[in-house]
Amino acid sequence: MFKEIYNYRELLKSNVKKEIRGKYKGSFLGVLWSFVNPLLMTLVYAIVFPFILKNSQEHYVTFLITGIIPWTFFTTCVCQGTNTVLINGGIIKKVYFPREILPISVVTSALVNFLISCLIIFIFLIFSGIGFSFNILFLPFIILIQYILQLGIVLITSAIDVYIRDAEYIINFLVQMLFYATPVLYSSSLFPEKIRWLLNLNPMTQIIDGYRDVLFFKQMPNLQWLGFVFVISVVILGLGIVIFKKLEKGFAEEV
Amino acid sequence: MTKSNNAIEVKNMYKDFKLIYDKPNTLKERLVFWKSTKKEYRSVLKNININIKKGETVALIGTNGSGKSTLLKLMTKIIYPTKGTIKTNGKLTSLLELGAGFHPDFTGRENIYFNASIFGLTASEIDKRVDDIIKFSELEEFIDAPVRTYSSGMYMRLAFSVAINVDAEILLIDEILAVGDQHFQDKCFEKLEQLKSSGKTIVIVSHSLGSVKKLCNRGIWIYDGEVRLDGNIDDVVSEYLKVCG
Repeated sequence: MFKEIYNYRELLKSNVKKEIRGKYKGSFLGVLWSFVNPLLMTLVYAIVFPFILKNSQEHYVTFLITGIIPWTFFTTCVCQGTNTVLINGGIIKKVYFPREILPISVVTSALVNFLISCLIIFIFLIFSGIGFSFNILFLPFIILIQYILQLGIVLITSAIDVYIRDAEYIINFLVQMLFYATPVLYSSSLFPEKIRWLLNLNPMTQIIDGYRDVLFFKQMPNLQWLGFVFVISVVILGLGIVIFKKLEKGFAEEV
Repeated sequence: MTKSNNAIEVKNMYKDFKLIYDKPNTLKERLVFWKSTKKEYRSVLKNININIKKGETVALIGTNGSGKSTLLKLMTKIIYPTKGTIKTNGKLTSLLELGAGFHPDFTGRENIYFNASIFGLTASEIDKRVDDIIKFSELEEFIDAPVRTYSSGMYMRLAFSVAINVDAEILLIDEILAVGDQHFQDKCFEKLEQLKSSGKTIVIVSHSLGSVKKLCNRGIWIYDGEVRLDGNIDDVVSEYLKVCG
């Protein structure tokens, strides 16, 4: 399977290009939208939340940005990835190619967007006076974990979505719910000790906390937890490959 | 054991299609019509056994709905058999429908890259062929314009040019010899002849018996999901015409 995907690497490349360029085709700001979006979100939360919550967080805007941008990476992947097989139904019916290319290219194009968005985080870190520390060296590791996790999820949801079209709406809802169950707007230490375990059930918690640790708090991430999430992500990816392989045989007949 | 010189091996292959009168696509429908979904299976292909040797040019003929195109789709691995096996040996390209994956907003040249990559070519392989493809399509003037501005004839010409220049060892073609004007059709035919003489395996589904007779040396008549006759193209075509003509 891996060899075949390697043989079709050019398709993967042009698909990623198409995802990135094609998405905002015709709009005035074009690709800039993928940066404007999280910035606007940050703006809204930065205005609204200090009013509602007693907010003791210093540099709250930068705090938000270090969480929201990785979170946007997650949501774009999962929401767009879920219907990628369905959207590409036309081509699936006509040509053979390794179907895994579709989810992989969604997650990869989102990764490219995310990497560019990291520049925004860096700009905020510099201008808020927080700066950088050596702990930033952990960043690629955290990104890798997130990529694996998301690829696993998208392999599963995109395959299921072909057979049960509701999956798309259910996933969209779940992602929205998960937003509040992930320490994006708040710090996980604000969560009551008693139900902290609930937060830890969500693998995105450790990932977002990881980004915060290495970027915002300039400290070592919790390697134990991250290692644990890494293992979980690999398991989900393995599961995703198995499910996708099993379901892909019916794609052309079901889409 | 010598290495098999079969390009395509189909063994005891069956294919059923699910026939659902009202397909429950959503969870709600699935729950509401829990028991009442009628599922029927219609067997489209029954016990197919075909061996196609390397370098053979084979025509699949038969009436509409007899299962020819399904057989071709099975060979390309777009769909999978219900029972039995299909093995292919060598790089395979299928021209089931032209222009699959063309993106209307991209230029002709970009679409060449995109379309060829769907056939599994790498960037450098496409670089080598891109001039040939453009030349074959005779679209030099328009190649850097977005494909949405093309006429349907130009669109087809570009698509066919990409597909024919992929250099696959096995070529599966579904009723697309009728591309473009007479001039372009002749050119396509010439190219197919050339591919044939260079030892490529070609399988064609077609209703234009005349051109198939010229191009192919073996015919397989599929009737109602079964192989009715398999042999020399002239014999098969004349037998087919006797029954169906």
